[in-house]
Amino acid sequence: MSTTQDNAAQLLFPPNVQYNNGRLYTVKFLSACAAGAVAGVLGLENWLGFALFIFSTLLTSACLYLKCGGRPAKFVPGGWWELVNPGQENIFSFVLAWTLFYGIVHVYD
Amino acid sequence: MSNSNVSLYLDPQIRDWVLFPITLVMILVGVLRHYVVLLLQNPPKKVPRAAIREQRALVRSQILRATSAESPIPPTYYKSISQHLSQAFLDGTYLKDGPPKDESEKPKAPNPLTDPAAMDGMMAGMKTQMVMMVPQMIIMGWINFFFQGFVLIKLPFPLTLGFKSMLQRGIATPDMDVRWVSSLSWYFLNFFGLNGLYRLILGGDNSADSSRDMNTPFAAAAMASPQAGQPQDYNKLFKAERDNLEFAEGLYSWVAKDVEARVLKKYGR
Repeated sequence: MSTTQDNAAQLLFPPNVQYNNGRLYTVKFLSACAAGAVAGVLGLENWLGFALFIFSTLLTSACLYLKCGGRPAKFVPGGWWELVNPGQENIFSFVLAWTLFYGIVHVYD
Repeated sequence: MSNSNVSLYLDPQIRDWVLFPITLVMILVGVLRHYVVLLLQNPPKKVPRAAIREQRALVRSQILRATSAESPIPPTYYKSISQHLSQAFLDGTYLKDGPPKDESEKPKAPNPLTDPAAMDGMMAGMKTQMVMMVPQMIIMGWINFFFQGFVLIKLPFPLTLGFKSMLQRGIATPDMDVRWVSSLSWYFLNFFGLNGLYRLILGGDNSADSSRDMNTPFAAAAMASPQAGQPQDYNKLFKAERDNLEFAEGLYSWVAKDVEARVLKKYGR
């Protein structure tokens, strides 16, 4: 039996959903890299850096939520968690950018 | 004793000649891998029109069913398509070899090992896997050979001592902080972190993604099972699909049902 989730998903047009997901992924990746750069340049260590990552994730999802006009179900199947969730690979990208910039700015003369 | 606030001074040339080249090489090799896989792929085999029609008939009914609860098509059209498909499945008009001539004939299932189409599918899967693995091993060997024995970078976050043997391979200091790591660990960081970049420059479906390598054993197994299913009996599938169509017709409801009443209500009349 179809649930409300299925019903809501049926109202979305698949090619558009795919396009949206691609754009969403791009935005999340770029924000993860930017957050890594900021963390590296500021010289944040340990948990401060990860706190910055969480903060940047929340900021990004807030901006995306505004962009959706407050109704994420119209654009992406899955509601607000889809907006907040950074991709599983973006945390590695964050760590990569963080290490790179930390190394360039603080470790090398 | 560990000196956590004494920092090592590293030669900037290490940064210029090791840090950036490793990253650049990994990006370029990833792009190369993607294009090699594209070039190695066999062009898809031409399937005869009757076989395609058979598959597409099934897909048509699935598409119809997928949105039946909030269907965008009005009842007359939905019911007519649904009934036409249902009748066609019963009669076997879409079957590749024409309607079934008699009940006792069973379709012969081609042996997956001798059927050329299935062999091609398996070879393609194995070829992709080889192309994925070989560059990784080559780069690891290259890094171990040329960039061994010195500290490359300091990690901004701490790790347990267990990682020391892996990340500081080649540097024989027992109590240097685990945060100072060698080039191999920079390779690992790049390996995991560049997937997003590949997706950005090569598009979503690229073959340079290392997270796909985790999926390949499943993909190879998944490709093997539909190959065994290809000689499947479309007749039986069509019969099953008829039942599904009936279910879906029960669930069907038009999105624009009573739309006149809704519009009037919205404007307050």
